[in-house]
This record gives sequence, C-alpha cells and structure tokens, in this order.
Amino acid sequence: MDFLESLLVGFVGIVLINNFVFTKFLGICPYLGVSGRLDMAFGMGCAVTFVTTLAGGLTWLIDTLFLVPFHLEVTRYVCYILVIAGAVQLVEMYLKKFFPPLYKSFGIFLPLITTNCVILGLCLFLNLWQVDNIVLALVLSFGAGIGFTVAICIMAGIREAMELADIPACLAGAPIALITAGLLTLAFMGFSGMIR
Amino acid sequence: MIAEIMILDVLRAAGLMLGLGGLFAVVLLVASTKLKVETDPKIDQVYAVLPKIDCGTCGYAGCAAYAQAVIEDPALIGRCSPGGPTVSGKIAAVLNLQISEGGAPRRPVVHCHAHKKDKTYYALYDGIFDCTSANAQPNVQACAFGCLGYGDCVRRCRFDALHIIDGLSVVDYDKCTGCGACAAGCPRNLIEMVPFTQDPILVVACSNKENGKTARSQCQVGCIGCGLCKKQSDLFSITDNLARMDYAKYEPSQATETARQKCPTQVIVFRGKNAPAQTTEPLQSAAASS
Repeated sequence: MDFLESLLVGFVGIVLINNFVFTKFLGICPYLGVSGRLDMAFGMGCAVTFVTTLAGGLTWLIDTLFLVPFHLEVTRYVCYILVIAGAVQLVEMYLKKFFPPLYKSFGIFLPLITTNCVILGLCLFLNLWQVDNIVLALVLSFGAGIGFTVAICIMAGIREAMELADIPACLAGAPIALITAGLLTLAFMGFSGMIR
Repeated sequence: MIAEIMILDVLRAAGLMLGLGGLFAVVLLVASTKLKVETDPKIDQVYAVLPKIDCGTCGYAGCAAYAQAVIEDPALIGRCSPGGPTVSGKIAAVLNLQISEGGAPRRPVVHCHAHKKDKTYYALYDGIFDCTSANAQPNVQACAFGCLGYGDCVRRCRFDALHIIDGLSVVDYDKCTGCGACAAGCPRNLIEMVPFTQDPILVVACSNKENGKTARSQCQVGCIGCGLCKKQSDLFSITDNLARMDYAKYEPSQATETARQKCPTQVIVFRGKNAPAQTTEPLQSAAASS
C-alpha cells in the first residue's frame, strides 16, 4: 500500500506540482513553437510522452545495470542522448507510417524532440532524486510526459482562443504568447507546496 | 598503476557506447524495414531532373517539395524557372504527359542604363548603404526611377550573377538561373523578368516617366519619350513618356536596328549573353559605332 501511495504521489507531483514546463522551465521551445493548434499540440504531447516513458525507463535501466556498477557515470550524458535519439527515430518512423498528416504538420519539431530538454532533464532528475525502482521510474517518466502534454494543450487552447482576440499590434505574435506562458506559470504556482 | 586503471575505464566506456550504439542500430534497422513507407518512385525521378538549387521560385520550400507537389498536381509543371522548358519537358516525360511550347526562359532585365557620370546628383548620400534606405531619401539622386547602385539585388542573388558596375546593376547572364530573387528585391521595381525570346534581346533600358525635358535634366541616357523608335517598329510602344519593347514578339530586324541607332539618348541597348559588353562609357562608344 505504501508503494502504491508513493507511485500516486509521485505521479500527481510530477504532473501538477513539479511540472517540468511550469516550475523547471524545460521544453519551452516546442511549448511555444507547436502550441498554435490544439490537435497538433496534443500530438506533440503524445510523442513526447512516448519518448519520455521509453527513454526514462531505458536510461534508468542502463544507469543502474551498467553505469553505476562499472563506475562509468561520466558517460551518463552521452548514453542518455544516444537512447533519446534512438527513441525519437523510432517515433518518427512510426508516425511517418501511420499518421502522415501529423508527421507533416510537426515538420522540424519532431526530430527536435531529441533535444527537448524535458526528456534529458527527466532522465537526469530520475538519477538526482535517487529513484530506486523501475516501476517508479516509469511512472515518473510517464507523468513528466503527461505534464508536458497538459501544459502544451492548455497553452494551445488559450492561443486558439486568442486568435479571435483584439491584441495590440505591438504585442501580437510571440510577445503575447510569452506573457500568456508567464501567467499560466503563475497559476500553476498555486500548487506548489501541496506535496513535499 | 593509474594509467592502467584509466585505460581499463576508457575501454569499458568505449565498449559500453559501442554496445549501446550497436543495439540501437539493430533496433532501428529492423524498424526501418518494418515501418518502411512506400513512396511514389516518380517523386524521386522528378527530383532527379530538377536543378536542385532550392531557389524557391516555384513557391515551394525546395526542389524536393516541388517534386512532391508536381506529382500531386501536374498543372504545376512549368513553375521551375531556372530549369525552363528543358526541365518542364523532362518532368512531363516522367509523368507521361506532353507539354505545350513553354515559351522562352525568363531572365531579369535591369531597366536602367545610367552610370555614375550619366546621372545628376543634388547632394551626397552618406546614409545606410542599401537601396531601400537610399530610396527613402527623396534627393538621393535626381532620377526617381533609375538604379541607385547600392546593391540590394546583388545581396539577394545566390548565384553571383549580379554586380554593381559604376553605379549600375549589371546581370551576368552566364551565371543567372532566372530565379527572380533580384526582381523581388529592387525597391524601385527596375528589374523585370522578361521572356528571352532572343539572345541578345533589345531593351529600352530606362524607367523614367518624366517628360522629355525633365528626363534630360535628370539623366544623360534616359528615355525622353520622343517616339522615334515607335515610328520605326511596331514592337515599341510609349506609355507615360517611356518607350517599352514588346519582348514576347521581339525578333531582330532592320527596323529595330534603325530604331536602336536613331534613339537620341542611345537608351535602346542589347542585353543577354551575346550582348556587346556594357562599358562604363556607353554614350561615346555607341555614338562612335553608329
């Protein structure tokens, strides 16, 4: 029961309270770049969730099975990036085969998931938090992806509505997107301190 | 001792990276065969005949995108202007279609012939060195239509086919691909993409729409709208005090040659690969030859 509780707390914590986008400001590039339309944002969120779950689990395994026993912690970054790049390639092929329109609309942002800091950040945080079992690592990885999806979908919803708003010319485009992102972050600050 | 441990560590690290890399290579190899997307082989064939310079004149992001688009809509065949009718014909062959005579390839013509000493200046322009900025100054030079010579077109050209020679933009037709970037970049719209039915082609190299007297005061080689050329050949027409050649119908004849020689300001000139070289002293040399 304790174990299940820790899983639940970890999941809710990483989705809402320690959301990577809102509290750690990671993954801002796709967060602003692909949040123009809700369906695209959701697709991006799903792709990132898949890659984080895969990469988080794999890197945790590699870390505990190879890197730590052989004292090769220095190669951590290189290994992680290798795993992430491989996973992204896999996602890209899958999307190209089964969702061509989505693949087309992502454009350059799909290969750029490789350098999405949410994913590398998560893999390194798993290590920093000293997560000691694979199930928790997987749940946290999945939660990080869901957190990113929630953030980018909220943003996309707001930006879709903003298309119709009368925005002053000097703020139209990127400035208003950044202001919105800031306000959203403030809103999510309300969750901080709920779980220690 | 320390050296031994280090070597062991390096070997371990290298082995690990090799193993991981190999593992992912195998997984991706399997995935790439399992998830292979069958693309239309014609797309590759069309791409093979395109110029592959990614100039973007066709309106697509590059030659690969254009190849995809032309497969989906064959009506787009003629969009590749660097390739011209040759490439259109090859694309049509791939698609098993026939094209009508596509017409001559389009090449830029600079409608100005004034070098520095031909122009009248009121003051010295010492501002930002580009045409768009200079064009904002009403008194940068007397002629409000002619080439400014600050090279906006030169900077836009990706093929080194434009140069400013003595205050005038000159096209190097050997290098020009006809992508049209220069024409879009000229703030005075001096550069027009013209169907090169003949090479060299006869051009009224001026854009000045002032009346004759004003034009003469502004530039020594400007069109004064006298209409002498129009009397010689129907190919010339005059609107707003400015003569223009009907490029699509142009063919060299006695009449056009006489018109060229009779032009009082010698502003009717040949342009193109086979044109006589543009010298820095056009008026004198032309006067000597005629």
